[in-house]
Amino acid sequence: MRRILIVGAGQSGLQLALGLQSKGYDVTLLSHRTADEVRSGRIMAPQCLFPAALRHERELGLDFWTARAPRIEGLGVSVAGPEPATGGRTRVVDWLGRLDGCAQSVDRRVKTAGWLDTFAERGGRLVIHAATVSDLDVLAGRYDLVLAAVGRGELASLFGRDADRSPHSAPRRALAVACVHGLGPRPEHPGLDAVRCTLVPGVGELFVVPTLTLSGRADLLLWAGLPGGPLDVFRETTGPSEHLARTLELLERFAPWEYARATEVELTDANATLAVGRHAPTVRHPVARLPSGGLVLGVADTVVADDPVTGQGAGSAAKCAASYLASIVERGERPFDEAWMRTAFDRHWESARHTTRWTNAMLDSWPEHVLDLMTAAATHQPVADRLARGVDDPSDLEDFFYDAERAAAYVSSVAEG
Amino acid sequence: MSQAVLCRKPARVRPYSLTGGRQRRCRVLLVETFVAALDTPGDGPPGPPPDGSGPLPPRSVPEVRAVPEARAIVELCFRLRSVAEIAALLKMPLGVVRVLLLELADQGRIRVFDTGHGTGRPDRALLERVLGGLHRL
Amino acid sequence: MRGEDPTRGGPPAALDVPRGWQTDRSRAPHATKIVVAGGFGVGKTTFVGSVSEITPLRTEAVMTVAGEAVDDRTATPDKTTTTVAMDFGRITLDTDLVLYLFGTPGQKRFWFMWDDLVRGAIGAVVMADTRRLADCFPALDYFDSAGLPYIVAVNQFEGTARHDPEEVREALALPHQVPLVQMDARQRVAVVDTLLILVGRALDTTPG
Repeated sequence: MRRILIVGAGQSGLQLALGLQSKGYDVTLLSHRTADEVRSGRIMAPQCLFPAALRHERELGLDFWTARAPRIEGLGVSVAGPEPATGGRTRVVDWLGRLDGCAQSVDRRVKTAGWLDTFAERGGRLVIHAATVSDLDVLAGRYDLVLAAVGRGELASLFGRDADRSPHSAPRRALAVACVHGLGPRPEHPGLDAVRCTLVPGVGELFVVPTLTLSGRADLLLWAGLPGGPLDVFRETTGPSEHLARTLELLERFAPWEYARATEVELTDANATLAVGRHAPTVRHPVARLPSGGLVLGVADTVVADDPVTGQGAGSAAKCAASYLASIVERGERPFDEAWMRTAFDRHWESARHTTRWTNAMLDSWPEHVLDLMTAAATHQPVADRLARGVDDPSDLEDFFYDAERAAAYVSSVAEG
Repeated sequence: MSQAVLCRKPARVRPYSLTGGRQRRCRVLLVETFVAALDTPGDGPPGPPPDGSGPLPPRSVPEVRAVPEARAIVELCFRLRSVAEIAALLKMPLGVVRVLLLELADQGRIRVFDTGHGTGRPDRALLERVLGGLHRL
Repeated sequence: MRGEDPTRGGPPAALDVPRGWQTDRSRAPHATKIVVAGGFGVGKTTFVGSVSEITPLRTEAVMTVAGEAVDDRTATPDKTTTTVAMDFGRITLDTDLVLYLFGTPGQKRFWFMWDDLVRGAIGAVVMADTRRLADCFPALDYFDSAGLPYIVAVNQFEGTARHDPEEVREALALPHQVPLVQMDARQRVAVVDTLLILVGRALDTTPG
């Protein structure tokens, strides 16, 4: 039986661990926290899986929360207009695109803890330990394959930055999340759950995401602010009630139409707020060589860390785990050598590059033609639906999103029906 | 953190016993957790579990005996040792010790002892005993 | 931590004879631990060695130097590594009760080690040097957020002036209920007293 060591127990590490376990591999999983510690700990960076990514979980029988999680059927986009002298911003763009299938957001405290327990219950060897280079250096020789799914943890720096694929060198957004009960529906779509994104040009973005947390259905209020800007007011040390108060103040100022349904909200629990650490979006080289010569293959955001602004983190992790799982199984009994590792990563990158390109594009100020697309979506439902589906499968955006002429041609073709 | 860290267990997992580690793969090895070899010095393959807890679940475990690090751990554990002591005395990274100990426990070659209070905070009775012990020093 | 003599203040290695409980492999004592945290050179290993029944032991781990939240500003592959050491000692309190003392470095980037150490711990002694009080800020922040009982032990070095404890308390923004002691980590009695105060503090914060 092939022995595989997985370091890190987030979306990608656990999905791979459970997937490999179900296919008969001998998996050892290193997690720095126990399931109970995860469950009783601070909320983590939020996740939302769109249908294509969710399918991978379902294929492995790991979609434990589908019956309880809100069914997210659409993606709404609003663009805030300039601040009038009298206060009270309005929306200059507002539309709702429909997804093909449902998206789902589950609090990572629920999901990670549940998957950790499942892995252990199914006989997986779960080792509670914060891995260091020294550990991997010795352990690498004892496994057929070592995978690092450590996110932006310190071990990620074993993997060299790929400058050609990393156009940004500084953090571009500061994220702050609060998980709340009591958010009302959007009055124009009272029976429909959707991810709502409000773009405040030059300031940042607000995301409202229906989610499942420890205490049931809830909503995430997520501000993604340009560093140093008016949204960059959350710190690690901001207390929960102050965090929520600031979140709501900003809602009232920059997105009053969302504030209108947030007047009754309360935090779901004492750990329901987080100022997410800020990072420059970075693509790294996929293979790390340990001091002893052992090789480690980087997984998901350990090697492709996009900015969280497009909400693709968990979905990319799910896709990477699925792609690596297929590559590992297809490899059979042959060695997991460096050439195989690079091939496995390239296969994943073939899909991941679209997400990275789109996410990086959204971090810059938008070119005219993107604004035109957003505006066209408000009047042409097919454009709105296609943009929403682009969040599910960013490769589709290649055909029309990045080029002014093609964007115009696409909008004309829709307008002419 | 609570006692429950030692496993939120489904019915098919047998209750925790002091033989340690054999049914549970989500055991938490704290730095102060005590372990001891089940083999005796110069022993052959491991004998049956002393408490009659039965065979291991059907799960292949690699032949750790062949690994020198594992052998060194077993030899050191002919005396009761804590996880941290093993790492320090064998100059082995803590994570490697944890992984090998869990494998050795799976094979029935070492036993892992409960610290007496799980991974949660010690209770008042234990703290009183520590206080008394320190007073006597 | 490096630069301190791990044996200073501790008993000679010859005293490291097995205790009775170590030779009985059928049972084990209750295992407890206390974390001793503080900045570089503040005297953690001296503290541990003063009271340990064994020559303090050391575990080492190599970690990558990066690991702060913002580590991606540099464009070069950041493979620099550093060694982090943890010294620990042991006290047999009774035939079935053993206490470990773990000395751990105070920098924020070693938080991952603290997560490991605070699991099941009685509490922490945060050691402070009045010449470098800021060195213990990260440890105080950490134990506050982790909800672990702690006290502050100001190590009196030779030649350093004694400070008004209230001034130190104020500089550390220490809540009034957190004990602050001035002590000499080379004195066994002082170390035992410090541990007694910590365990007392842990009792105060543990529901009955």
